[in-house]
Amino acid sequence: MKPLLRALFAGLLLAAGAAAARPITPASDSEVVETLPLAGAQRSQLQRLRRAIAAQPGDASLAAQLARKLLEQARHNGEPRFAGQALAVLQRWSDDPRDDGGTELQLVLADTEQHLHDFERATRRVQGLVQRDAGSPQAWLMLATLQRVQGRYAASDQACRTLARLGAALHANACLAENAALRGDTEAARRTLQQLVAANRDAATQAWLSTTLAELEARAGRPAAAEAAFRASLAAQPDAYAAIALADLLIAQRRPREVAALLASLPRSDGVLLRLSVAARDAHSPQADALMRELRERLAELAQRSGATPHAREQAMAALYVEGDAMRALQLARSNVRLQREPIDVLLLAQAARASGQSEALNEGRALAREIGLHDQRLDS
Amino acid sequence: MINAWIRRLLPLLLALAAAGAQAHKASDAYLRLTPAADGGTQLRWDIALRDLDAVLDLDGDGDARLTWAEVRAAWTAIDNLALRSLSVPGCSWRVRDHGLEQRGDGAYAVLWLHSTCELSQVRQLQYRLFRDDDPTHRGLLRAGGDDASVILLDPRAGAVELPALQSTSASDGRPQPSLVAEGVRHIVGGTDHVLFLLCLLLPAVVRRTPQGWQPVQRITQAAWPVLAIVTAFTVAHSISLAVAVSGLWLPSPAFIEPAIAVTIVLAAFDNLRPVLGRRRIVVTFLFGLVHGFGFAGPLMELELSPGALAWALLRFNLGIECGQLAIVGLGLAALFALRRWRAYPAWVLQGGSAAAVATGVFWFAQRTMM
Repeated sequence: MKPLLRALFAGLLLAAGAAAARPITPASDSEVVETLPLAGAQRSQLQRLRRAIAAQPGDASLAAQLARKLLEQARHNGEPRFAGQALAVLQRWSDDPRDDGGTELQLVLADTEQHLHDFERATRRVQGLVQRDAGSPQAWLMLATLQRVQGRYAASDQACRTLARLGAALHANACLAENAALRGDTEAARRTLQQLVAANRDAATQAWLSTTLAELEARAGRPAAAEAAFRASLAAQPDAYAAIALADLLIAQRRPREVAALLASLPRSDGVLLRLSVAARDAHSPQADALMRELRERLAELAQRSGATPHAREQAMAALYVEGDAMRALQLARSNVRLQREPIDVLLLAQAARASGQSEALNEGRALAREIGLHDQRLDS
Repeated sequence: MINAWIRRLLPLLLALAAAGAQAHKASDAYLRLTPAADGGTQLRWDIALRDLDAVLDLDGDGDARLTWAEVRAAWTAIDNLALRSLSVPGCSWRVRDHGLEQRGDGAYAVLWLHSTCELSQVRQLQYRLFRDDDPTHRGLLRAGGDDASVILLDPRAGAVELPALQSTSASDGRPQPSLVAEGVRHIVGGTDHVLFLLCLLLPAVVRRTPQGWQPVQRITQAAWPVLAIVTAFTVAHSISLAVAVSGLWLPSPAFIEPAIAVTIVLAAFDNLRPVLGRRRIVVTFLFGLVHGFGFAGPLMELELSPGALAWALLRFNLGIECGQLAIVGLGLAALFALRRWRAYPAWVLQGGSAAAVATGVFWFAQRTMM
């Protein structure tokens, strides 16, 4: 009898632990119910700017300054709310043909829009901007990048060349080299990028160029060289983009155990959580179940916002690599490439198509790559 | 050497379309319209504390740690913001209650709004929350039952028509079922609870003597022990029901449902081979706790605000006790009438208990294999 009862109540306790209580019932006034992303000086700086703008709502330079700070925080904390707030700050200059707030403000606005994955609108904005102010190298660089992300390499080249004429040689060369590499001209692009890395010792530039080089090597089917370049980038300057790309490489290399340490210090964005979950599962880690549960919970929340989603890439990856639902992954990957066409998006489409086993879907990824002129060895493996 | 202006673009180059550096979901609030117990309409509105902080500066001391005191001090400001940000033609709202909720992306303030409008009168809704603070914010509105689809509310768009409400108003607008009746139905219709109670009753009308089972002489000889044991059961399930419904603690049904089956097996087994003895009343109390968690389900589905909860709990529990009294009264009377039948110990007591053991084992298997 007694052991039975004991077992009964041990089970009761266990079950209670598993059913994490959703409502929060604070025990005291001093209980911390939420941790906010910003504290101290960063917070008060934002608030000072907010107050200044409340006093002078039409001041474009203050607004651009606040929006840039907010966008930096959105990137740094992986918190899209800040990007939404930046958009609000800039709203009154968004579509006003008489007062666009100036080049700087329009650039922050386009940057915010692309951060929120509204690539079409951001591209249109920057195209309008270079017509009015053709001498802005930032605008041309952003245009080159936006066109590349959407798989329009020729238009991107054109913007890169204008950048060269404006005297931004480093950026123009890196810009052209990256496009060349995407089109499969790997040898020349590699040489250019290596020369640029050697010539520019600035940490941020090193990190950026090394990441570009690493992606080139990954597409060229040289994982060891890619890994070395990613590691060089991270050593120069830690960055979520490079860390996540390296995590993907490690997962593809069947080295999931190294992923957790690599991503440990990053904010837990959906992309980070996705890689952690896949790696934990592949490594048969005890954390796998908890990570998957958290990921599914987040995806369920995302899915409530119907319509076009800026998270289609992560959603498709989760469907393919976590849920094993190839049909849904294919559907999501298809809608994702309407939004963005980076190599990872095309690769995802190809993998989802292959996993779905549908013969007509089978070559979709390769067909899209041909259409935009992308060369990626991983598509053939 | 790079120029300062172009250097500023480096984060852009690195983060542009960054694979997942774009984090988490954007700002969402969750709204749920349901009929209120008084015939009006209840609107539950969950708003992220992070969003509220950006607008109302909840974190007064700027330490990034939002305490319960800081949130409580801001309720009035939060209420005013919410009431300003929502309008339904012809209906006015007031905030009846507050709470907090943990979601995947942080803690949310929960507001329970009430309107005297009937749910079927809520046909159009204008949503303006964070209109000037975050144009990517959306309200996710669910109106009616669990299967109702989500309506996306854009704070910068115009008023939204709510056709779904009208079409389902026949079911949603009906008066709430009485909670007392619900309580009665829950225990009388809950075969497992009834069976457990019967197991407690079966041995009450006979006594174990050296000459074997002997029928009791007077009904009071049977009633007093039953009263004691049923009281233990009642007190216990009232406690766990209150604990569960108030949100303090609710064990998973995956555990509770089989555990209820186990209580039946043990109570019935004790009638066949006495193992509990004097501890019978204590064990019944413990089993009562388990059953109380089982009662919580229907009450929790109503998603009541804390203020409405105590009253609802009282009515629901009253229903359960009435139902239980009826079962015990009828059961005891029937058994008392049968007690002198010579075959009572063998057929009714032992046979009935054996059948209960078998049923309990079957339910346990069924509930653990699901």
